[in-house]
Amino acid sequence: MSTRPSWSPGPASWKDDLTPIGAADWNYDRAAHLLSHAGFGGSPATIQKLADAGLDRAVRTLVHYESIPNPRMQPFVESGLWEPALNGFPESRPEATDRAIKNGVSMGIDVKPSGKRPLQPISDRFFYWLRATLLETRRLGYWWANRMLQTSHPVEQKMALMWHGHFATHENKVRDYRKMMQQIDLFERYATGNVRELTMQVARNPAMLYFLDAQYNVKGAPNENFAREVMELFTMGVGNYSEKDVREGARAFTGWYFDNLTFKVDPAKHDEGVKTFLGRTGRFDGVDAVKIIFEQPVTAEYLAGKIYRFLVRDELSPDLRRKLGAVLRSHDYEVKPLLAVIFSSRDFYSQASYGGHIKGPVEHMVAMMKQLDVDECPGVPDFNQSTISMGQHLLNPPSVAGWAGGKAWITPGLLIARGNVAREVLVPDMTGFRDWNFSAGTDDLLGQRLRDGYDIGAATAVNDPANMTAFDRAALERDEQFNTRISGYIGWEQAARKLIPTPRHAAQFDLTKMVLESGAASAGEAVDYLLWRMVRVPTATATREGFVAFLTNELGTGTLERAKSYMEDALRMVVHLIMSTPEYQIV
Amino acid sequence: MPTNHLLSGSGVTRRDMIRLGAGGLGFGLFGGFGPVPRVFSQASLQAASRDSGRILVVFEWFGGNDGLNTIVPYGDAMYYTHRPTIGIREKDLLKIDAHFGWHKSMRGMKKLYDEGKLAIVQGVGYDQPSFSHFTSMSFWHTAAPNSGNEYGWIGRTASALDPDGLQQNMIVNIAESQTLAVKAADHVPLVFVDPMKFQRGLFAQERAAVDVLAAQSAPEGEAHKYVLEVSRSAAQASEVVRAAWSRYEGKDNPDLRLLDLDKVAALIEADFPTRLYYVPLRNSLFDTHVNQAAPHDRQLEYCSDAIEGFFREMERIGRADEVVMYVHSEFGRRVPENTSLGTDHGTAQVNFVIGNAVKGGMYGTPPSLSNLVLGDNLANTTDFRDVYATLIERWLDADAAKVLGQRFATLDLFRG
Repeated sequence: MSTRPSWSPGPASWKDDLTPIGAADWNYDRAAHLLSHAGFGGSPATIQKLADAGLDRAVRTLVHYESIPNPRMQPFVESGLWEPALNGFPESRPEATDRAIKNGVSMGIDVKPSGKRPLQPISDRFFYWLRATLLETRRLGYWWANRMLQTSHPVEQKMALMWHGHFATHENKVRDYRKMMQQIDLFERYATGNVRELTMQVARNPAMLYFLDAQYNVKGAPNENFAREVMELFTMGVGNYSEKDVREGARAFTGWYFDNLTFKVDPAKHDEGVKTFLGRTGRFDGVDAVKIIFEQPVTAEYLAGKIYRFLVRDELSPDLRRKLGAVLRSHDYEVKPLLAVIFSSRDFYSQASYGGHIKGPVEHMVAMMKQLDVDECPGVPDFNQSTISMGQHLLNPPSVAGWAGGKAWITPGLLIARGNVAREVLVPDMTGFRDWNFSAGTDDLLGQRLRDGYDIGAATAVNDPANMTAFDRAALERDEQFNTRISGYIGWEQAARKLIPTPRHAAQFDLTKMVLESGAASAGEAVDYLLWRMVRVPTATATREGFVAFLTNELGTGTLERAKSYMEDALRMVVHLIMSTPEYQIV
Repeated sequence: MPTNHLLSGSGVTRRDMIRLGAGGLGFGLFGGFGPVPRVFSQASLQAASRDSGRILVVFEWFGGNDGLNTIVPYGDAMYYTHRPTIGIREKDLLKIDAHFGWHKSMRGMKKLYDEGKLAIVQGVGYDQPSFSHFTSMSFWHTAAPNSGNEYGWIGRTASALDPDGLQQNMIVNIAESQTLAVKAADHVPLVFVDPMKFQRGLFAQERAAVDVLAAQSAPEGEAHKYVLEVSRSAAQASEVVRAAWSRYEGKDNPDLRLLDLDKVAALIEADFPTRLYYVPLRNSLFDTHVNQAAPHDRQLEYCSDAIEGFFREMERIGRADEVVMYVHSEFGRRVPENTSLGTDHGTAQVNFVIGNAVKGGMYGTPPSLSNLVLGDNLANTTDFRDVYATLIERWLDADAAKVLGQRFATLDLFRG
């Protein structure tokens, strides 16, 4: 077997140095480092191609990807859950039923003229859309993960993921998968474009407007939520503006709102008055406010630092942050030149950046597929359930601050979850799998009771309806206008009837073939190849030896030629163990 | 009541079992590199006794709880002037005295108050307050307002209680990801939400190889060092948490809606050596900008019922004298209501300290509703670090000045 290129971090002295590395500093391992940070890693063949291209062409191809065909990108196929009457969806179930009491109709559903529970269809309708948008958003997240896997523009997808965590909104509040879909499209289009333009678009994005209560930001009664987060989290960082700037900024954005999926300005609700914002005075509107924010040098530093921390490593010095900010600012907030500088720099290939990045769960899943040469994210295990267990729910970041990232991705529990997800990918539980999208959770019990012939009151009794207490019976007699508990179940059922099923196939890959094609002849060589292919950071000798002993024992021989007809499952367990190592979690 | 199959007939007590779980399952001691997180080692076996000390449970109400609609100053006409629509009427309150009343959802905490076990601390905040959830909470987490600290106040308290990091699992954090408050220099907090998902799935054959996953090696950098440390502590920790949870009876009780406090109760019942529990409220509804009444009613009811249920559990377990709970938010809310029938981010807030050891009553000076500061906000009358210092010094018996970097006044709110 030929010698494989080994781990080759640049010297420690390269840290914080943005000078490009020389042609002689470029090699296969550096290309592997580049692809794992700029994108989601790749197979040895992909890395070799980058290595052969040389540094300049490799970076150019990654960053200026527009002309590269991207044939596998397909639009999201909607299940058809939305109806126009759902526009202006009530913020709570009480609001939904109050509307019905007042108007006789709510969300396009009429109140029943007589009979028991006249508002039941209204309550059902409310829960229908809650479930519908939740389930469709899960399909959307899975679709997006496949784009990350199948794209020929990995930097575009990596940066789109970055912007999603940066300009964070979550479906849990937005409650409209269509608005989340608009955001994915926005983040892809502006992935490496101009950040000022992107921020301008985000400020007009319906999901964001709803998420930060823009509809309540009106002349005479400004709501500060949006103006504050724009400066604190999206552009400048705390400490670089005053509370007065927040209040004045909020006035500039008054009257911005949305109708369904369209951004609108209501001139009657816009405050035309003079504002003093970040040291400038004028009759500013939201566009002016964004422009003024991007005139502040700290904005470039904040954003460049954030991009750097997402792509390269968690810690960066104030000096490097300033240098990166200067690059972004000198290119008028265009991201491509900044990325080219970072990806070519000595700092990027220095010891500090090598193995300096803890992969986020979604990134980790996509990278895993690439290392296994899997063409499509599997349906078993469920993509969303898998990343949720590792601490990241796509399209549902925990707050407007996005995901903390870095060390926050790893705790004892989350590290264990990573190993468990790897096992479910490598050895999926095909016969035990239960489709999350078609399970109503604890509400399944209610469905069973309805099918057993109990009416709504009995079905939702606290205790067994066949054996009711006096309390339960008294509750049955109550004269309720609707029963929300049953709506939770009915809403799920109604949404599931229309929902396009997610294909539930296992990940398709062949480790036997992969290992044999590598030229490995012994258990030791197989482990060496798999470690080299999958793990960037060197593992301890004892770890490698433990894996070799395990594989030899499983195969009943150390010779692959003897074991090749039956070695697939043993190799899969080895890869499960590899993916459970601490080293596997970082690049 | 479910039979405990593990224990039946063995003559081994539950407590022994957990200790056995700690050391008797064949996990070797791990050697080490840097500050290796010790989860369970020889030292901890001796230290795992229930007499190891008093327990503090911090229950963080993230979102910015509206203190004025929690402990309502109905006796002050200004309250209704500021809040003509969302102000809670006198008839809807659970009265405390001629001036204050509990929000009607808070029967559980009111009961603890009436039993003399709950202290209300008024006007808690800090100077030059931030109105950002994340910034303000980070100030609370680090006890460093308008500044910062690499480690959290709970993490630093752990270091003060046990400077050598000998005691394992000193901190437990019930959260999806580690809360800044628990970050410590020499203790790795146990962070989890679902105990049953907190285990490594292995095929029988793989067990032989699992010990080498985090074999000793020279780390390549900060990130590598960190994942190695966590990896070494993960296996042992998961085992003991699951053992505790599977034995806990409170989890099957439909009358107890403990939010995440059930996991705390389970570990306390199992005699975990943990002194510091940190539980940030998940799925909070406290950020009540819009149509505040319904979500606030609901959130207060859930929290108040959970707290009362938790202390009932402590009574059942026989540990109620040893546990104190502290409740805070990142800020209170603006005094006047906004035009959306809600309230915006504010300043000073109301805190609660609860437990048998607590001298129930009202502490601190209620902020004036007439002299508002910083644009319609409450002036803080108690620095939050006074409350921290009280808990650290008077309850946990640690050096508060060391933890907080300077000396703060303490409140006389514990018995004895």
